[in-house]
Amino acid sequence: MTSVAVKPVSPPEVAPPQTFRRRRLTPVAKMQRVLGYTLIGLLGLFCLVPFAWVVLSAIDAHAGPNVQLPTLSFENFTRFFTNSGTPLLLMNSLIIGIGATALNLILGLAGGYALARFEFRGRRAFMYGILLIRVIPAPATIVALYLILVNLKLTNTLYGLILVEAVLQLPVTLWLLKGTISAVPIELEEAAWVDGNSRFQAIWRIVLPLVGPGLGAAAMLTFMGVWGDFLTPLVMLQSQELYPLSIGLFRAFSEHNQVDWGLLAASAIVYVAPPAILYIFVRKHLLRSSLGGAVKG
Amino acid sequence: MTSTVTAPASALAASQPPARKRRRRRSTPLIALLLGPAAVLIIVFIVAPAVYGMYLSFTNTQLTGFAARSPKLVGFDNYAYLLTNADFLSSLGHTGEFVLYSAIIGQTVLGMVAAILLSRPWIRGKGIFGAAILMPMVVPEVVASLTWASVLSNNSSGTLNLLTSFFGAGSTDWLQVVPLASVVAVNIWRGIAFAMIMFQAALEDVPVELIEAARIDGARAIQVFRHVTLPLIRGPVFLYLLLTTISTVGAFGLVYFLTQGGPAGQTRIAAIYIYERALQFSQIGIGSAASMILLAIVLVLGLVYVRLAKVEV
Repeated sequence: MTSVAVKPVSPPEVAPPQTFRRRRLTPVAKMQRVLGYTLIGLLGLFCLVPFAWVVLSAIDAHAGPNVQLPTLSFENFTRFFTNSGTPLLLMNSLIIGIGATALNLILGLAGGYALARFEFRGRRAFMYGILLIRVIPAPATIVALYLILVNLKLTNTLYGLILVEAVLQLPVTLWLLKGTISAVPIELEEAAWVDGNSRFQAIWRIVLPLVGPGLGAAAMLTFMGVWGDFLTPLVMLQSQELYPLSIGLFRAFSEHNQVDWGLLAASAIVYVAPPAILYIFVRKHLLRSSLGGAVKG
Repeated sequence: MTSTVTAPASALAASQPPARKRRRRRSTPLIALLLGPAAVLIIVFIVAPAVYGMYLSFTNTQLTGFAARSPKLVGFDNYAYLLTNADFLSSLGHTGEFVLYSAIIGQTVLGMVAAILLSRPWIRGKGIFGAAILMPMVVPEVVASLTWASVLSNNSSGTLNLLTSFFGAGSTDWLQVVPLASVVAVNIWRGIAFAMIMFQAALEDVPVELIEAARIDGARAIQVFRHVTLPLIRGPVFLYLLLTTISTVGAFGLVYFLTQGGPAGQTRIAAIYIYERALQFSQIGIGSAASMILLAIVLVLGLVYVRLAKVEV
């Protein structure tokens, strides 16, 4: 009853006959709105203001540690790409990020397919096990992980870091891809088998094209996780020429006496760009597939 | 002849239990091939460190020095040492304060405010406000810290000092004078978005009819929230508290970047203590024991939340 009575009132907000609005907005309601806008505005400012310095300093030829009006120039960016050390940081970050994501997706796709299509003993236990293991905070296991990696001779190498980062993100990818693959009707695959395809041909031709959105979402989550990780490369890499951007930025910042603020801000912008671009690219798919995955479990 | 009959039959029989059982036996090598690599790698790089860490916590393993040659089992010595060590106990205290003020109070309250305001039908510019609040979460940890390094700068023209100078206050070196409060503020800033997303999803599931009924019965907005909305979103709220507590207990980069645990250990949260002990002072045994204590605390907190939420797991 109530919803029927309320509905005709709300459309006039769009095309307002004045009488309706005035009657609806009691002083209390008006106060609430002013308060609401103030609060949300302050929250928005709180969230955005810290970025001011990075953005302004990146395009400022005489950048300092504080917010100031920039003398507009892109010199900092040209310096970032022509400097001796900084392009290497970006290169390493890209190698680690792309390598780990690719490896993670291959492992995740194969494992997710097995989890989605076969009933075997320990399947549920495995699924919940890898979910629960994420409860462990990363700093709690990093020490033992480091020792294991030392024994496997994987520390201070890029491929070692790629392997570790890919595996650390694997539980989420497995869950996500298991959900998306389960959503692909098995009948489609069976039709392909009947037509003479092998199991792997069917996966390649039927399943892979249909799980695109889920794959995109998994790729984005993995890439962002690897790209932003600070602790693992900090512990694993000792040689300066292997540092990714995250460690490079930290080192540049913690040399307190001679920080090149403009270059630092430009590096931060370069560092933010790839995940931001990827996010915009995949966002639509992410929404769709995560919903599908959630429903299917 | 036979093959044309059996091929569709085996395909069709996928949903029938006996056929599935037969297929399972035949497909074991295939499962091992597909899932094996992922499972082995997860065991080596995620499970083994946890188990190995537990073992290490009972040894006096060191990376350098005499004990590095032949690590010995020392029983509960590391634990006994840590539980009487003032530095470690204060790092646990700092972690507790950090989690309580930033995650449990700050992020939850501000995230709830944001979620409720953005669910009002009369608010315009939802997209812009939502995007603004989302920004701190989507940038990498290091960049998030860097932005605040400038805000909290000790210089008189640091952003926060500029703001306070409007009110006539002198400039302060925030990271030196109130270090813990500073990193708490930074962590709140970073986590509002996650809280907001979780609460928005929960609020969408609250039936509008219930709220309208309460309003018609004369309840004020705050009463509606307290007695209708909040009980209905209890489950998601506790799930959020669980997730944010786990991730905040394990917070490292944000604080380490800004203060590296200082000044005088005032922001040395447990994760930084572990990092220093194990990887800077090479005392792997003690670092591992500290990790296990931290892990135990996380597990206990998790169980408490699950109990409070009355969620079936």
